[in-house]
Amino acid sequence: MSTEPEWLVPASLDEALALRAERREGATVVAGGTFVGILVNSRLMAPEAFLSLQRVAGLDYIRGDGDLRIGALTTHRAVELSPVVRKGWPALAQAFSVVASPRVRNQATVGGVLADADYASDPPSMFVALGARAVARSVREEREVPVEELITGFYETSLEPDELLVEVVVPGGEHRAAYRKFRSRSHEDRPAVGVAVCRRPGELRVVVGAVAGTPQWFPELCDPEAPPAEVARSYAAAIDPIADVSGSAEYRRRVIEVEVRRALEAVA
Amino acid sequence: MTDARVTGAARYSEDVDLDGQLHARLVRSPFAHARVLAVEAGAVPSGCVTLLPDDVRGLARYGVQIEDESVLALDRVRYVGDVVAAVAAETPRDAEEAAALVQVDYEEAPPVLDVVEAVAPGAPLVHDEIALASGGAAYFGMRPQPGTNVCHRFQLHHGDVAAAWAQADVVVEETYRTAAAQHAAMEPHACVARWDGDRLEVFTGTQTPFNLREELARVFGLAPDRVRIVVPPMGGSFGAKTFLRTEAVAAALARKAGRPVKLVLPRAEEWQTLNRHGAVVTMKLGALADGTLLALETTCLADTGAYADCGPGVAQKMGFAAPGPYRIPNVRVDARCVYTNLPPAGAFRGYGQMQSAWARERAVDLLAERLGLDPLELRLRNLLRDGDVYCTGETMHDLHFAECLEASAKAIAWHEGREGKGLSVILKGMQTPSRASIRVEREDDGAYTLRCATTEMGQGARRAITLLAAELLEVEPELVRFPDPDTDLVPFDTRTTSSRSTYMMACALEAAVRDLRENGGAVGEGEALEEGGLDPDTGQGIASTHWHQGAAGAEVRVDEETGKVEVVRLHCAVYAGRVVNRAGAELQNEGSMIMGLGTALFEEVVAAEGQVTNANLSDYPVPSFADLPGRLTQELIERDGAEVHGLGETALPPVPAAVGNAVASLGIPVTELPLTPERVLEAAARVAEKVA
Repeated sequence: MSTEPEWLVPASLDEALALRAERREGATVVAGGTFVGILVNSRLMAPEAFLSLQRVAGLDYIRGDGDLRIGALTTHRAVELSPVVRKGWPALAQAFSVVASPRVRNQATVGGVLADADYASDPPSMFVALGARAVARSVREEREVPVEELITGFYETSLEPDELLVEVVVPGGEHRAAYRKFRSRSHEDRPAVGVAVCRRPGELRVVVGAVAGTPQWFPELCDPEAPPAEVARSYAAAIDPIADVSGSAEYRRRVIEVEVRRALEAVA
Repeated sequence: MTDARVTGAARYSEDVDLDGQLHARLVRSPFAHARVLAVEAGAVPSGCVTLLPDDVRGLARYGVQIEDESVLALDRVRYVGDVVAAVAAETPRDAEEAAALVQVDYEEAPPVLDVVEAVAPGAPLVHDEIALASGGAAYFGMRPQPGTNVCHRFQLHHGDVAAAWAQADVVVEETYRTAAAQHAAMEPHACVARWDGDRLEVFTGTQTPFNLREELARVFGLAPDRVRIVVPPMGGSFGAKTFLRTEAVAAALARKAGRPVKLVLPRAEEWQTLNRHGAVVTMKLGALADGTLLALETTCLADTGAYADCGPGVAQKMGFAAPGPYRIPNVRVDARCVYTNLPPAGAFRGYGQMQSAWARERAVDLLAERLGLDPLELRLRNLLRDGDVYCTGETMHDLHFAECLEASAKAIAWHEGREGKGLSVILKGMQTPSRASIRVEREDDGAYTLRCATTEMGQGARRAITLLAAELLEVEPELVRFPDPDTDLVPFDTRTTSSRSTYMMACALEAAVRDLRENGGAVGEGEALEEGGLDPDTGQGIASTHWHQGAAGAEVRVDEETGKVEVVRLHCAVYAGRVVNRAGAELQNEGSMIMGLGTALFEEVVAAEGQVTNANLSDYPVPSFADLPGRLTQELIERDGAEVHGLGETALPPVPAAVGNAVASLGIPVTELPLTPERVLEAAARVAEKVA
């Protein structure tokens, strides 16, 4: 009868990239497995082959020299606990610390949470607010893409079928940032609304996650001088929220206004 | 002592493997209501065994209280997930792929997906006829309402309610809802069935080995002693593994295959197998100005889904416990068990009594508000005391409701200010009538073996009974053996449900040890029997020979802008009588409270057009440790020399009402569980509208 799915387990990045170029969409990339595992178990996905990054060395690192560089196979837990991240980018450590449970955070990777483009995740909106860029590599080239351009829709990214996400770069420099996760159910739940804000000199970014296919950022509404309540109102009006088991669209709109205001007050 | 559950050495139902076994997967209906026109398995590979409707037409129907189920759905499917065929293959994966190749032609029919709509005139009928069951689990008179979706109606009449409303100074009335919930035991339903000639053996996680034996014997036309049920420990159950679940289809497949068949449900199918009854309960209360309760009238609708299972019993207990632990001279209860085209609902920790306690205890607070009385004082004034007669006509003894309630009030510093605080108090019936028996056998090495049908699902019954036996036999607990229940070897027991086992088996065990001493010391047998039951038309009789008593106090904070409820303090006090296993008793209370918090705050089976849309543990979260209040405490109220009291459920039913009353104390009169932030805001908005 059926054959078990094929497991491709490259031991180096070069080998992984070669396999990626060869198999393209024919092999589903899996790192920590917390996202793909749910889809397979729910029978929403039945790949013929997996390209596992589990044995790929050299992509598990955090370097904070000026900019912050995080290897794609770094776990959520490592980011959450990293002294470098906590000191220089504490809001990012905070955004990773509120994902699911320690069991999940010990397994889920930074590359995974971006490449899955799951709308109901915490870290992507924080990365966008911080101005982070994803590094994509293929056998052809290496390129950088801003996270807001990486995630293009529900579970969709601008990664090419031969590319792997290998690193995330978060700009350093003076900033104040905050992440607020609003859960409507269990503490381990996904966000109903996630709000990431970041103030840099002369610049404000407000990004709302878990309410649409992509992190919602409206540069034209981010007047650094505007009172928090005003920015919050304009975000609530600008976003067309989805409805799911975590809350209705109308309810989410209300929470967006509350939580954007609170997040901005935290970095006032 | 090294606990095998901690080291990973423990073996559960799911771990039983038999030589030569095949693995089964089920083919389920994608429609909530449809005619089955054809089931075609021609594409299934020849190495697989398929079970199709025509294979089971000759088998008897089953159902513990209403015989409304067949081994496979025959000509009609009644919910998304109804089983129309099954496949067995060498591996679970092969079976799953083969199951996908079974072709079923359906003709859709209009479903009824809401319990209130289901009782409205002209609603589509889920079952055309309602056949009563004859087995031992139909322990009360069934009152199906022909031509409707009501498969059982329980009524209770006490005093003259109509006359009482005229005498009451204050009357309140409100409708309260509870969502369906999933047990979410760590281990799914798991069984292995094999045939030896015309003898059937099933290894399965079940709380009800003897009911299951009786039902399987009926389905296959066998004498009960031709069926053997062996019950390994379960990885949790909470009521999910009661009565016949997956065993008949596994047995039918095994018979056709001529090989043992193992069936372990994938997690998502748990939501299609058994849930907790969603309920709509209307509660009307009348009192004199001084707070003396005069009358209570309630209508309970229990949504039992497509098949009754033990829903009639759940509705009856929801009904007879609805008046609560109060002296009320005039009571009228109308409780109905209602079919809908949703997944079946059955036993669930709390067994209907949480749903009616949610309604009543919220209504009592509403009454206190209208009367301008302290909700604690109002309750204390009306609580049942020793010697009082309950609305069923039975005289109540050994009552400790006031103690439980006052302990809960004290724990949340009720007298220092009531804002953000809530209380509730409940009574809960134990399975009545019921019978437990046990045999104690002395072994050559000086140890004793207990032949006992009480099943272990993590509740610690095995440990509690072992400790009791060691105490009675005057040996170390290590010298008491308690093998897995096996219906070939153990004497009859009603079932391991309704928090009855520690109490009932304690009584039986005392008799067995006495018998052993009096008869030479080698073997002793003992039995405990509780008689009773209620008349389903009047609600009079003996509802429970042994009442579980509990109360809860909760303190909450509500984020007024988002509606998010945070429980900062939760305390439960339950009457324990004599404690057998302290650590186990405390853990049972804490487990019940945590489960109650899930029900209070967020657990809810969500369906769209009858299809459950959150059938996984990511979209259906259960409480995590981070969800617990800063202070969660419990209390066992004890009496030296008192009876042993079962504690498996008592601390669950009062929790949602205590949390709801705490939220209501902030001016937010919530009526619907779970108290999601969105519902809390809606309740607050309704008040604002009224004021405006």
